[in-house]
Amino acid sequence: MKYKLDVKSRWKDQIKVGQQLLILFLGVYVFLLLKDALFWKIPVIIIGLILWFNYRNKTRHPIIWFSFLILLSIDLIHSYFWVANHHFVLFFMVLAVIFFYYHKEKEFFVKNIQLVLVIVVLASVVQKVLSPQFVSGDFYYSVINLGALFKFFMKFIPESIEIAKSNSDNLMNLSKTNPNLGETIVLKDIIPNLRYRSQIFAWLTIFVEFIAAMAILIKPKNTWSHLIFIALIIGVLFTRLETGFMSVLAINGLFLCTNTKLKMLYMIIILGCIALIIMKLGYH
Amino acid sequence: MKNVTKIVLLKYGIPVFAIIIVAVQLFLVKTKDLSRWKGGGYGMYTEIHYAYNQIYIPGFSVDSLVKDNEQMQSTFGRLLVMPNSDNLEKVAKLVLETTHVDSINVQIWKPIVNSKEGTYTRVLSHEIQVKKSSL
Repeated sequence: MKYKLDVKSRWKDQIKVGQQLLILFLGVYVFLLLKDALFWKIPVIIIGLILWFNYRNKTRHPIIWFSFLILLSIDLIHSYFWVANHHFVLFFMVLAVIFFYYHKEKEFFVKNIQLVLVIVVLASVVQKVLSPQFVSGDFYYSVINLGALFKFFMKFIPESIEIAKSNSDNLMNLSKTNPNLGETIVLKDIIPNLRYRSQIFAWLTIFVEFIAAMAILIKPKNTWSHLIFIALIIGVLFTRLETGFMSVLAINGLFLCTNTKLKMLYMIIILGCIALIIMKLGYH
Repeated sequence: MKNVTKIVLLKYGIPVFAIIIVAVQLFLVKTKDLSRWKGGGYGMYTEIHYAYNQIYIPGFSVDSLVKDNEQMQSTFGRLLVMPNSDNLEKVAKLVLETTHVDSINVQIWKPIVNSKEGTYTRVLSHEIQVKKSSL
């Protein structure tokens, strides 16, 4: 009984739990990126660890968060056009956590996280609307026919795997030819009417992302807002195993959530994604 | 700092920073042909991945040029993610400097998909001809 109460009281403060999960994610993520700009990262890690080990309870400065911020900044300076988009989100989140250590106002921290999350999802909507390849359905049409999306569902339609493989092989052969010859390949549809399905799916994606962004903007604590957002995260994970980005979005969701059951759901998604990242499964 | 300014900064400083990054990325997409996939604009899965762009240099194998050469990999990689004239020129100059040819033609091709006809083809995005004497 005491154990249950302990767990319940621990989950009351989602900001604390979210920060712990963010630290865990950052540890794994930074480790995976360690080989890039290693020369600059080694001193940061060594000095950070020494300071943290000796002064963690003697200073009010969040040493570990500053270390992560510097490590993320090194990657941004070194590989601005190569880092994943969730690298930028992580940078903003760590910045918000550091500010929180000084101002101690939960309201400001939650506002930072809420607005950053809304900006990320809305930017994604804007990018999709501005891309003719996306709104026409051509993007989904090509990547689905090449077997890059819905791999999980393709297992249930074995012939679709064969068609996708044949399309990929044709594309590989095309890439070996001189493009000046103007050769074209014809993609075979892995399922009937893929062209129309792709168009519908493209607009459905835009609609769901827009609704999720608006829900988080207008009602950031509402259960329905989080259900929509969690549905979006799970939907993306089933479409393509984007474990890195989805765990970052889920940590943001957790920071805003007040419903214990949904907090637990966020935690399962985050830890599940982190486990997959450690196993080097998915895209991180 | 006045209290109101401080509150506004603490509440909206980071989100405004995030908006600036997105705006810069969108600007680079428009003016420098940056891929929507990169640069912090959250445009993944909105267009065909930049890895499908193709650098073509008549008389050369791109795979052989970039193999075990970090500078080539980085310069060619930049051209794939941002296929514009400036990056094309950088690639052309680098290849001219490291090989024994007097002139070079570098092309960058982009994939085009037509779901109506079910076709996948490539269109020329940029092309450059550089002579060693002009370096």
